[in-house]
Amino acid sequence: MNAFAAYHPTVLLTYFLSVLVVSMFALHPVLQAAALLGGLVFCALLQSRRRTAADLAFYLPLFLLIAVTNPLFSHNGVTPLFFLNGNPVTLEALLYGVQIALMLVGVLFWCKCYSKVMTTDKFLYLFGRVIPKLALVLSMALRFLPLFLRRAREVRRAQKTLGLLAAKSRVDRIRGEMRVFLAVISWSLEHAMALSSAMKARGYGLKGRTQFSLFRFTPGDGVLLGVSLALFGLTLAGMATGATRFAYYPRLTAPPASPLGLLALCAFAVLCALPAILEGKEWLTWSFCKSKI
Amino acid sequence: MKRVMLRCIFCAALPAVVVGGALLFRERHYAFVSLAVALLALFAFFLRFERAALDVRRLVLLAALTALSVTGRMLFAPLPGFKPVTAMVVITGVAFGGEAGFLTGAFSALLSNFYFGQGPWTPFQMLCWGLIGLAAGRFSGILRRSPPALAVCAVLSGVAYSCGMDVWTVLWADGGFSLSRYFAALASSLPFTAVYALSNLLFLLLFARPIWRILDRFRQKYAL
Repeated sequence: MNAFAAYHPTVLLTYFLSVLVVSMFALHPVLQAAALLGGLVFCALLQSRRRTAADLAFYLPLFLLIAVTNPLFSHNGVTPLFFLNGNPVTLEALLYGVQIALMLVGVLFWCKCYSKVMTTDKFLYLFGRVIPKLALVLSMALRFLPLFLRRAREVRRAQKTLGLLAAKSRVDRIRGEMRVFLAVISWSLEHAMALSSAMKARGYGLKGRTQFSLFRFTPGDGVLLGVSLALFGLTLAGMATGATRFAYYPRLTAPPASPLGLLALCAFAVLCALPAILEGKEWLTWSFCKSKI
Repeated sequence: MKRVMLRCIFCAALPAVVVGGALLFRERHYAFVSLAVALLALFAFFLRFERAALDVRRLVLLAALTALSVTGRMLFAPLPGFKPVTAMVVITGVAFGGEAGFLTGAFSALLSNFYFGQGPWTPFQMLCWGLIGLAAGRFSGILRRSPPALAVCAVLSGVAYSCGMDVWTVLWADGGFSLSRYFAALASSLPFTAVYALSNLLFLLLFARPIWRILDRFRQKYAL
């Protein structure tokens, strides 16, 4: 799956934010179901089948847990199903729990996709303009992490040969790890200071610095950005006017069917399906080209 | 002038977010407003840092301290429940001041979530750890002088982190904030909170002093 991840980081961030905002904060079963389905398909396209199956095995119990526990805490609603310790367990609270579970699991899937698509280089490219100093701190920390871990391994090996790393009791193990950690702290901080002197000597912070990046904004990026913003705008319009406003308490009330509400639901469903659509288009093009050879 | 304007914009943004969120998202506005306010608070801190004079050594030092606190988390990963990030954030806050503590805490959350998974909880985690670092910087004098104060701080920061994150759980799982659900969330996370507080206590009491010795020597050597 590369068709979607190859788009410009700005487009990707806008897309993910618009999907996440709606799926986190809207309250309509169709919206949330569309988000969950779209996220699930997108996630399945990004990773192996076995991984997806493992995810499903993890999220399904979570879904049930959230759905079932809501009526225990919330006794709103007018349709009692049965009484538990004198408190009513209501149909509305149960349905609201299902709704929240849909929302949470959907959001988790989208966050998973976000982590896979918005790799750290894209993240730093986007935020390097807005918060340059902090983006530098973050990118250096990201590089330091594997370096420090490697150093920790080296120190641990050295200490093992010296017979310093005993593994008899839990406290001994913590002590041993700590001795390694202390050595890594001194070593890394010395390294950091040398690095900052080198950066200063090479003129970091002077005016006229340019940035290198591999990302280019193509017309295709513009089209995707426009389409996703338009779909997001339609959904927001539906939400703001109350056309997609579903009420659970005190009793289940669906909003009256209106053209705007229907349009908003369709727009969001298409928005969620965009990655799968793009991937399908790519696959069709590829099959077509292959068939001509 | 520009500074004053920025402050005014910021002060106007908070109520705007609250009112706008309430109007647009209705039932889900607690979740939206809490997330937006957490982001705005983080943004205020970051902006302050961005506008300060450039000091390369400080930048690199912050990066190293952030990476070290996440390194600690990974080094001790084989020992279940022993996550020294909070303790490292407290140590950093005491040694280098509240601002460094806040940024180390916030960035440790962001950085470790690159490995353990980002989600809507990231801003809250950033804010929780950041505020713990900030508080540690504020009380650095007493924390250094007396081990009992350090012990109290260790337990308190573990509990505070847990309570803070449970607010998030409740706001997200429920439409609004319900006390009974909050207490239930606190009770169900009680074992984690206990392990958390205990490991903080162990880490800070055993290792805060050696680490401070290293950091102090280092500060003296490079006149930071």
